[in-house]
Amino acid sequence: MLEVQDLTVHYDGAMALNRVNLEVGDGQFVGVVGPNGSGKSTLLRALSGILTEVEPGKKERPSLSGSILFEGKEISKLKAWQITKLGIIHCPERRRPFAEMTTLENLEMGAYLRKDKKDVRKDLERVYELFPILKERANQMSRTLSGGEQQMLAIARALMSKPKLLLIDEPSLGLAPILKETVLKTIKEIWSSGVTILLVEQDVAITLATAQKIYILAHGRMVTHGAKEELMKDRDIREVYLGL
Amino acid sequence: MVRSYFRRAYSSFTAHVFDIPPRFMAFLFFLLLLTVPAMQLGSYVLRLLIMANIFAIFAVSWDLLVGRTGQISLGHALFFGIGGYTSGLLFQFFALPIWVTIPAAVAIGALAGFLIGFPCLRVKGPYLALITMAFPLILSNLVKWSPLEPIFGGELGFRSLPPFFPFLPFTQAIMAEYYLILLLLFVSSIVIYKIANSKTGIVFVSILDDEVASKACGINVTRYKIFAFTISSFFASLAGCLQAHILKLANPPMFSLDISFLPVILTFLGGIGTIYGPIVGSYIYVILDRYIMSILLPKAFESVGWTLPREFDFAKLLIFTLIVLVLIIKWPRGLARFATDELQNLEEARDLDERGPRIWKRYKKTKH
Ligand SMILES: Nc1ncnc2c1ncn2[C@@H]1O[C@H](COP(=O)(O)OP(=O)(O)O)[C@@H](O)[C@H]1O
Ligand SMILES: [Mg+2]
Repeated sequence: MLEVQDLTVHYDGAMALNRVNLEVGDGQFVGVVGPNGSGKSTLLRALSGILTEVEPGKKERPSLSGSILFEGKEISKLKAWQITKLGIIHCPERRRPFAEMTTLENLEMGAYLRKDKKDVRKDLERVYELFPILKERANQMSRTLSGGEQQMLAIARALMSKPKLLLIDEPSLGLAPILKETVLKTIKEIWSSGVTILLVEQDVAITLATAQKIYILAHGRMVTHGAKEELMKDRDIREVYLGL
Repeated sequence: MVRSYFRRAYSSFTAHVFDIPPRFMAFLFFLLLLTVPAMQLGSYVLRLLIMANIFAIFAVSWDLLVGRTGQISLGHALFFGIGGYTSGLLFQFFALPIWVTIPAAVAIGALAGFLIGFPCLRVKGPYLALITMAFPLILSNLVKWSPLEPIFGGELGFRSLPPFFPFLPFTQAIMAEYYLILLLLFVSSIVIYKIANSKTGIVFVSILDDEVASKACGINVTRYKIFAFTISSFFASLAGCLQAHILKLANPPMFSLDISFLPVILTFLGGIGTIYGPIVGSYIYVILDRYIMSILLPKAFESVGWTLPREFDFAKLLIFTLIVLVLIIKWPRGLARFATDELQNLEEARDLDERGPRIWKRYKKTKH
């Protein structure tokens, strides 16, 4: 479904990603782990096109080279809104709900591009089933939600965009352990409903427990990848990168 | 029994009186404005109200761009001036009638906004404010530049632009102008209000709120920002060419900083981001600055036998600024916003769900 080859990203001359290769198969659950600053968010932002958009206040745009194929189509030159239309939905780091909108309005923003109004209604019901708390908070300003609720809202908003491939950036960031599990459980549920998932995490345990295939990213390079069992077999990897 | 009946009648009366929605208030306000010419307040007051309405169109256009989309513009004089000068040029060189010059001025103004939008995509916040501030100053110097005097008329600009109703006698012409401008304000503000509360308007707010999240929702942020600039400049240049035809004058001060700051003051007075606030703001401004300070105060001084010193003009500006400062500090969300918030709180307290049970409870108590 997604094939990334030799993806290299520079910020103002500093390299953030160095010839990264990545493959996500149709219906797979792929995880990327790496410490802070290893380039995880950069990778997702490159995939969703947000990276190369003009950002006001930034002197230079990050430069990107390499190829990103989505369903056989080269998307590395496309704009963020075109990529979203193809079905790659980015659930950004730090949640970023629209603070001055209610929960419901946030969800409607997620469905902004869609024309199938009837299905949007159905999806809203489905999202409420997945996150019952959001239904209770439907008319509450999203800035008054707790951290966990905001994370659920961010994922729910991405779901409303009807993703084929969902990119999730550090959903566990700043959440209590019990909430982490709830969020992870719902991500798994979303996956089993047929959405392909690319999850990016600092939390190794979480990723190992959920993803089918795991990539290890360090200093902008893909060190290795494989299923949990394969990675655990290698003692160096286990100790150096996974810290287990 | 009788007492409880009266109580119910009273509570349902208060519920209805205080439940007047802002939209209805706005309608009443326009009705009031419609009857103004019949009050025989004299042509000077009518002129003032015409200016207030023109300023209101100008400020509402600014509010859509800044209050809703978050693209801070301190250079709206650019569009105001372009509106006036386009009218002036078309009349001077092609002697086109007013119903051609105004649409043309508005179209050119919108085009200017469209073009200005592109460099403005790269900056935000204070940088955007500074860049936008520079544009009208550049144009102001351009039209004053002596080699171009045969075209733009130098410091004097264009005089003797055609009035709206040349065939009417003076007093009737003013009245007709008043109604025309009022109609244009009515239409412009409704159009802008509708846009602000449409799906497009929600997207504008989302860009103001969080640009990255908007992009993650698949919004073409560039397109919406440019659209906001275009719509805003469309109405700002409409205000500019209306003023040019009312004053029969288009001159370099139309590009001045004063004009750029005007919508800022008016919008903050009324309430930023509300769309209706700037209209209230421009009435407060015109009444304070052009009526109370310029007419009532000198008259009051005369009646006790004093005359105002000539330096008062400077003091006037100072006093006016102080008043505006106090108003903005006291009601930071704007006067109109403050008023509607009060109304809406009452409305909420009389929420339909609660109202029934409450009345019913009271009724039961008094019955036994
Ligand atoms: N907007 C930016 N401008 C310049 N450098 C950046 C920017 N964003 C991230 N970086 C740099 O790129 C590297 C990778 O960052 P990031 O992708 O955010 O890592 P992670 O998400 O894994 O913590 C870091 O060294 C960071 O300093
Ligand atoms: Mg990150």
